[in-house]
This record gives sequence, C-alpha cells and structure tokens, in this order.
Amino acid sequence: MKQDLYQTVVNHILENQDQFYRLAFSYAKKKDDALDIVQNAICKALAHSGALREPRAVKTWFYRILIHESLAFIQKREKETPADPGDEREFPYVEMSYTDTGDLFEFINALEPDSREIIKLRFFEELSLREIQEVMGLNLNTVKAKLYRGLKHLKQSVGEEWQ
Amino acid sequence: MKVLKEAKRRYDQIPIPDRLHTMVLETLQSTGRPYIPAMEKSFLLKKRPRPARYIAAAAAMFFLLFTTALNTSPVFAQEAGELPVIGGIVRLLTFRSFSQEQDGIGIDVNIPSIEGIAEDTGTSDAVNEEIYRLCSQYAEEAMQRALDYRQAFLDTGGTLEQWEAHHVRIQVDYEIQSQTKQHLSFVVRGTESWSNAYRETRYYTLDAQTGEAITLSDVLGEDYAALVNQSIRTQIAQREESGEIDFWEISEGGFDGISGDTQFYLNDAENPVIVFEPYKIAPGSYGEIEFEIRSEK
Repeated sequence: MKQDLYQTVVNHILENQDQFYRLAFSYAKKKDDALDIVQNAICKALAHSGALREPRAVKTWFYRILIHESLAFIQKREKETPADPGDEREFPYVEMSYTDTGDLFEFINALEPDSREIIKLRFFEELSLREIQEVMGLNLNTVKAKLYRGLKHLKQSVGEEWQ
Repeated sequence: MKVLKEAKRRYDQIPIPDRLHTMVLETLQSTGRPYIPAMEKSFLLKKRPRPARYIAAAAAMFFLLFTTALNTSPVFAQEAGELPVIGGIVRLLTFRSFSQEQDGIGIDVNIPSIEGIAEDTGTSDAVNEEIYRLCSQYAEEAMQRALDYRQAFLDTGGTLEQWEAHHVRIQVDYEIQSQTKQHLSFVVRGTESWSNAYRETRYYTLDAQTGEAITLSDVLGEDYAALVNQSIRTQIAQREESGEIDFWEISEGGFDGISGDTQFYLNDAENPVIVFEPYKIAPGSYGEIEFEIRSEK
C-alpha cells in the first residue's frame, strides 16, 4: 500500500525532473545551486512520501516542496553572502544570456513573494488556478488577487512593450 | 501577454545540465529503499488475510500445479481424465505458459483456457480467444514499455548493473476466485513491476454446467444496476463512517453508478462481488476495492 505512494513519488520525479530543475534555476540562477535545490527537494519528498495522502496530489505536493526548498536556499545564500557589492556580480544573469526577456525574469523575481510564485506556476509551469491554490495553500480569491497584482506590477515594469 | 509567452518559450529552453539525470537517479537510489519496488511482492501481499482467501489461493495454487502437470505430461493428462471433477463440466487449464529473460527484463506468462470436459460445445471458444488475444497483446506491449524504459534509463546515465538490479518483471497470470457446482469465476491479470499505470485485470464468470458466460443481470435480474448501485452506495457510506476507506467524491471522479464494463466475480456463496481497480473510485493506496452484493432474501 505504502509502496504504491512511494512509487508514485519516484515516477513523478523521474518524469518531471527537467521541469523541476528549470523552476529551481529560475530562483537560483546558478547551475550548481539549482541542482542542490532539486536534490534537497527529492530527499525531502522521499523522506515524507508518507505525508502524501493520495497519489493524485503528487504534482501540487511536489511543487510545494520544491518552492519551499528554492526559497529557503536563496534566503540562506543571501544571508551567507557578505554585503559586499562586489559579490553581487557572482550571480549575474549571464547563463541564460537573454536580452529583452532576461529583464522580465528579473522583474518576476523582484515581485512580492506570493505573486512571484503564482506567476511562475501559472505561466511557466502552466498550472491551473486550482492547482496553484493547492500548492500555495491559499484560497482561490487570494490566488487570483495576487496573480493580478503581480501582472499589474510586471506591466508597469515592462512598460510599452507589454502587449 | 506576448512578453509572457516569449518568456515561457525561453524558460523552456533553460539548458538542462547532464549531471541532473545522474544526480536524480543517485539520489533516488541512495535513499536505501528499493528504487523500483518489486510488483510481485506487493501483488502477493495485497491478498487480504481472510481465511477464505487463503483457501482460494491454496486451491488456485493446486490448480496451477495440476494444470502445469497436465500440460507437460501426457500420462498425467490421461489419468486426470479419469478423475472425478468437482463442479460442472468446465475447467480452467493453462493453455500456454512461458518464461523468458531478455535485457534484464523477466517475463512470465500463463494463459488460461476453458475446456469443456466432455469435449463438446464450443460455447467457450469466443471467451478463450478473447483471453488469448488480451494476454498476448498485454505481454507484447508491456515488453515494449520495459524496453523503452531500459533505453531511457541507460540514456540518462544508468549503468547496466543498476538496471539488472531493478529486476523488472512482467507477469500475466490467472487465478481462480471461486469454483462451485454452479459456476467458475476467475481473474486474468497483467502486471508490471515498475509501474501501476498499465496493470490490467479482467474477471470472468462462467456457468459451470453450460460454459456460458454469466452476467450481472443473469444473477440479479434486469434491475441489477439499480440494485448494485444502491448496495454500493450504502457500503461506501458505511466504510467511510468506520474510517476504513476515504472514497473520492463524485466531482473528484468517485463512484457514480456502475457501467457496462463493471468487473465482478461470484463468491462461494454465489453472491456477486463488484471489483474496482485501484484509483477508480478511491486513492490507489487502497488497492482493489470489492463490494459483495448480498441478495435480500
């Protein structure tokens, strides 16, 4: 019985690892850090696979863990990094080498915490509002409000090109 | 929103480092639990510890040995022909049986066949053909899935030794659920040790005297659907109450009346037992869920 759930988690990880990496990377912006985040998330998920009540919830459940790990990681990294402006250049956005949209990623990361997650889940991971609600543990109206607020901020940051 | 669409396109192009796949596999393996649990085990363990079950299993085991001997030894077959057969005129034999190992993938297939004891009728031919077709098709497709999986595993940095260690197995087998003078119920199953997504189960119930297939309406009358639905709804409520099973709501894909492909067998008391596959009406962790429909006499 338990074995079934464990297998569900394992299959889900095997099938979606690339997506997990991309989401982690969108936070960490560094290859090694993104790999660390994904690894931590997998360990957490396997250790707590018993907490997953039903297999169908595995998708939102894993996103919740992954986002938690991503946020915890960047928070820790910020703390450990001395407030030396020179160090800031350790984490430039060069790996993706984006020109115009590169800024958009920056803008999204600069959004207030919940809106940032919701926009990533909605537009990059293409989750439904209901799924996002489960991931974030917020009610539907709050999710919608934060989504629209985030979009409004983005629109302001991007300016004219926003169509 | 054009900007977001473009961003999504770029997002999907974030390069995936080669190390990711190796890291994921290693992390999965280093948890100390079997990375791919063997299905055979959970398959056997799933038998609920009811005494009747043990007897049925033991009977099926005997039958299996019996039929294997029957298939392999002409002398045995001749002698068996003389044995009085409990029940009616039909029996279930292993029609074809083979085991094979290829690229670290094991496959065991036992295809049953219904035989009329008096070598007559032909009523069961259609059922036999269907069983044979289903079994061979399942075995073939499962093998292909296993080979694809192996390729994906090796492509993502897995070694041959690691692959062998998974003991990937495909099993097609049958089991007699019950056999009385009136009927013969059995189940044919296809399972894969690495995934539950493709398991297949098919129940058959035959009239032991004529070899004809028995349907729910034969047992319960024309109004069988209403009868069964009512009984199942009552039982669902009881089991939820007792906390035994947490069923899905109808809106979540839960039980919403039986359909034409509802699976059932007859138990020793001649009562139909409706069987739902894992995930059909409740979380898969509950396994197969059965409802005995007791006739109200």
